Amino acid sequence: MRILRTALFMIVAAATSLATAESTTDASDIVRRANLAYYYAGADGRAEARMKIVDAQGRTQLRQFTMLRRDQSQGGNQDMLVFFSRPSDVRGTVFRVVRQPGNEDDRWLYLPGLDLVKRISAGDKRTSFVGSDFFYEDVSGRDPNADRHTLLETTDKFYVLTSIPKDSESVEFASYQSWINRETLLPEKVEFTNSKGQLYRQMEVLKTDSIQGYPVVLQAKISNLARGTSTLMQMRGIRFDLGLPEGIFSERSLRTPPTQWLRKK
Amino acid sequence: METNQLQAAEAKTIKHRVVELALNRPKTVYAVILLMVMVCTAMMPLLTIDTDPENMLSIDDPARVFHNQVKREFAMHDMVVVGAVSNTDQGIYNPKSLQALAKLSSQIQNLDGVISTDQMALNTVDNISQESSGTIRFQWLMKHAPTTQQQSDTVRNAVSRLPLLQNTLVSDDGRAAAIYVPVESKEYSYQLAEQIRMMIPKLYSSDEYHITGLPVAEDQFGVEMFVQMGIAAPMAGLAIFLLMWLFFRSIPLVIGPMIVAMATVLIVMGLLIGMGFTVHIMSSMIAIFLMPIAVVDSTHILSEFADRYKPGDDAKAVITKVVEHLFTPMLYTSITSAVGFFSLMLTPIPPVKIFGAFIGFGIFLAFLLTIFFIPAYISRMKPESLASMQAAIHRMEGEGRLNRWLPILGRLSIRGRKFVLLCFSGLLAVSIVGVTKIEINDNPVNWFKGDHEIRIADRVLNEHFAGTYDAWLVLKTSEQAGKEQFLQKAKPIIEHAKNKGIDLTPLLLTSGLLTDEQQTDFESWLQVLSTNIDDQLFDADDDEALWLEELLNFTDQVREQRRLFLKPDVLQWMTGLQNYLIESGLVGKVNALPDVVKTVNRELLSGNESDFKLPANANGVAQALLQYQSSHRPQDLWHFVTPDYRSSLMWLQLTSGDNQHMSQVIALVDSYIRQHPLPAGLEQNWAGKAYLNVIWQDAMVSGMLDSLLSSFAVVFLMMVVLFRSLKYGILAMLPLTFTITFIYGLIGWVGKDYDMPIAVLSALTLGLSVDFAIHFLERFREFHKQFGSVTEALQAMYEEPGRAITRNAIVIAAGFTPLLLAPLVPYITVGVFLASIMAASALTTLMLLPALLAFGQKEKAQKVRI
Repeated sequence: MRILRTALFMIVAAATSLATAESTTDASDIVRRANLAYYYAGADGRAEARMKIVDAQGRTQLRQFTMLRRDQSQGGNQDMLVFFSRPSDVRGTVFRVVRQPGNEDDRWLYLPGLDLVKRISAGDKRTSFVGSDFFYEDVSGRDPNADRHTLLETTDKFYVLTSIPKDSESVEFASYQSWINRETLLPEKVEFTNSKGQLYRQMEVLKTDSIQGYPVVLQAKISNLARGTSTLMQMRGIRFDLGLPEGIFSERSLRTPPTQWLRKK
Repeated sequence: METNQLQAAEAKTIKHRVVELALNRPKTVYAVILLMVMVCTAMMPLLTIDTDPENMLSIDDPARVFHNQVKREFAMHDMVVVGAVSNTDQGIYNPKSLQALAKLSSQIQNLDGVISTDQMALNTVDNISQESSGTIRFQWLMKHAPTTQQQSDTVRNAVSRLPLLQNTLVSDDGRAAAIYVPVESKEYSYQLAEQIRMMIPKLYSSDEYHITGLPVAEDQFGVEMFVQMGIAAPMAGLAIFLLMWLFFRSIPLVIGPMIVAMATVLIVMGLLIGMGFTVHIMSSMIAIFLMPIAVVDSTHILSEFADRYKPGDDAKAVITKVVEHLFTPMLYTSITSAVGFFSLMLTPIPPVKIFGAFIGFGIFLAFLLTIFFIPAYISRMKPESLASMQAAIHRMEGEGRLNRWLPILGRLSIRGRKFVLLCFSGLLAVSIVGVTKIEINDNPVNWFKGDHEIRIADRVLNEHFAGTYDAWLVLKTSEQAGKEQFLQKAKPIIEHAKNKGIDLTPLLLTSGLLTDEQQTDFESWLQVLSTNIDDQLFDADDDEALWLEELLNFTDQVREQRRLFLKPDVLQWMTGLQNYLIESGLVGKVNALPDVVKTVNRELLSGNESDFKLPANANGVAQALLQYQSSHRPQDLWHFVTPDYRSSLMWLQLTSGDNQHMSQVIALVDSYIRQHPLPAGLEQNWAGKAYLNVIWQDAMVSGMLDSLLSSFAVVFLMMVVLFRSLKYGILAMLPLTFTITFIYGLIGWVGKDYDMPIAVLSALTLGLSVDFAIHFLERFREFHKQFGSVTEALQAMYEEPGRAITRNAIVIAAGFTPLLLAPLVPYITVGVFLASIMAASALTTLMLLPALLAFGQKEKAQKVRI
């Protein structure tokens, strides 16, 4: 859903609104806009992702998947499908998510090897996404209203914000600081600090581009500094506003993937 | 003959020069010794203690190298284990106990030096469960400690469904729970354990808390060893001092040997530390071993001096005579003792090598210090103190017990020689039987006394849990198919593509992107290859894509085939072994990959026990594990399998760290593999601390035997050369042969495990027993020459020479009684056996040798009479 993290210059869109964004000083507003830019670009979208997970010993694992997303409303509920293609023994594994910001997400799982569709109970969103350093929440998006945001400074290029969780019980961090690009509104760096005051986790955007007028992240890396592990996510085949039919975001697509929309071209 | 005389003359001049130098320039002698002591003592603050039993194996020992490789590959950390035991009826699953446990666990996670993300406790691990609606749920097992009994029971039910946690995190009987604290470095573990101990009272829990784990034991041992060295060694010195005073009744006279002993110990320890060696349990005993040896030579000199000196004599003249007289026997006893210890360098155990080398060196040093320092020291004593010492000794000797008992012992041994020989032969036979009963067994936790808190914790936790001792059975793929074979098989695809005008070969030349290590690693090469194909595929046109996909599919297939530990039949084999080991009763628990797969599979399917099984195919296994990794702790999977799924670790929990226990488990696994061969392409190997213990103890036993046999041979040769007689050479070897057999026979009969301190005692026995024999035989030959009769010569032996030997034996034996008060078992062992060794070798020398000498004599005499 890096796809989703790609930005739409939202509802108002257009370069003209950039001027307003630039001058914004209200932290919550910045985060709200960044969230839209990152996770709600276009009305729908597809992307192919490849995750390279590197452990502390330098051993690597690969995860490859294709994501389809359709927004039910801007900044609101979203339908998502994640189709795994590699490693080859997990090929055909599918996640289906109905994301409901401010509420529990609905999640389903299809495992072809066990020929099994299973509903996953919405639990903690800060668990690993298929063994990577990304959390489920990093992929699907964190509810902007879950944290209190403060604007620390505005540099030439970035809004620098610090955020503190409203419910510290539900997360492993004490706070995080983000650098949000003033022009694209994409967060380009996020640093997480634990209760001991140590920086233990960070997200960096390594490559961005503009696709169909939307600024998008092509490469991002999350590092777990405490464990010495990291995951690089590369995005390709990004397209927006495909007109994905609502019907494909259903249980039927788990066993019978909508191949038409999964193809690159 | 001529050369012999020449050598004798030469030796005389050396002796002369030494004594002359000592007597004429005592201040120079003092200054040199003082300087050496000061320089070496100055290096002592550099001391580093080493208590890691792993160091019993050299750093490049294959077993140790493999163990550390396994630790790295499977991210196995050293663990401090904290256990809580509830003695209430409801056990540990009650709100109060669980709250205390959770609180402690969180506090421990915040300590520096703890790898908090890998900590294992009820509040840090994940649960996989079913929700009523048939959904699967991944969540913290106990994010918040329960406030009601009902919530506590929910935790109990959850744990009982998770085989990896049951009996590891909470005991089967539900009475005890554990926190496994992974430490960044073993060095902090004592400090951490102390910090955790401080936290426990503040929990106000009615549960008992125990702290154990090998790193804590090791670190704690180091701390106590340090205390031991600071207290027990000086105490032993003091005891020796008091005994010597009892014998010689002259404080100034006794101070001399004490200075020699102190200087020897300080110089040797200072050098050891200064040369950068760590102080291991073995080297911490150097002081204790060196002190008696250093005192022995001086005691011989003092004993003879006290006998020869009459008031009014010229002390210098007497001491010159005494040193000249004792020079050769002392030199030989020093060489033979040193040989015994140097032979330890033949063992493959580094701490024992260092121990042997430095004691060997210390013995020579003590010899040099004795012959330089003692004459200088005595010659500078006031005539009055010499006179009063003389008076005291004569007073004591007149009524001394030694004086009364030794001649009686002599008469008994000579007259009852047949009986003595019979007794000794009988004892020897019994001892040999005892030697065959020796059990080789060591366990670093047993280095603490039975009532030490570490031992108690060890006992309690092993009573409740599956075991706190780890052995790792590692299954690895033996590399078969490599790059060449892959390229061979990929050829048809490449050629087909070529015919269509598509060149795939550049893709296969990916080596340029790899580091040297990766190039040789087929797995990395395959990974890079598939990534590159995938990249190229992205921009390829339809024609090219067709062939790229063909090649990619082939690569994927090959990679799937290589992931052996996703195959159900391999996992099934592991399950079989797990069950076999548990049924044997020798293994508390086996944690392995099949448990992970089955648990996830059960929850994915229905949550019912009937679904606790392996998926039917490898893809099912891979997909179940992908779900396992979507938890808070995805890294836990890599303790059981490597990310390439080509090696897997089975973690065996044992309730004891005895190497015999471990050896039985190894034999068990071997027998299972004989009956059920390993799945194709796999080989097995062992790692883990319990296994390393077996390795170094095997090395110790065979090493000690080599060292004992070789030093025995060398000492025998030296004896033949010293006495220029085969007969005397053999005689000289008898006391030590008997003593060693007797001591090890005793160990066998008593049932004391043969451990490291016991093993090195053979060297000490060899050195000290032969000392007594040399002095005895050397003096006997002199008396024999003097009196012309064996019986008379033997009787004379029970005067001054007998007293010197007995005094030495008593000083050393009793001098080490403070060791019996030590908190650490190896020191106690050394104390007890030193006393036995001294008693046995003194008695053997004073009874067996005379009996044998007299035995031969009588027959000759009778023949002459006839």
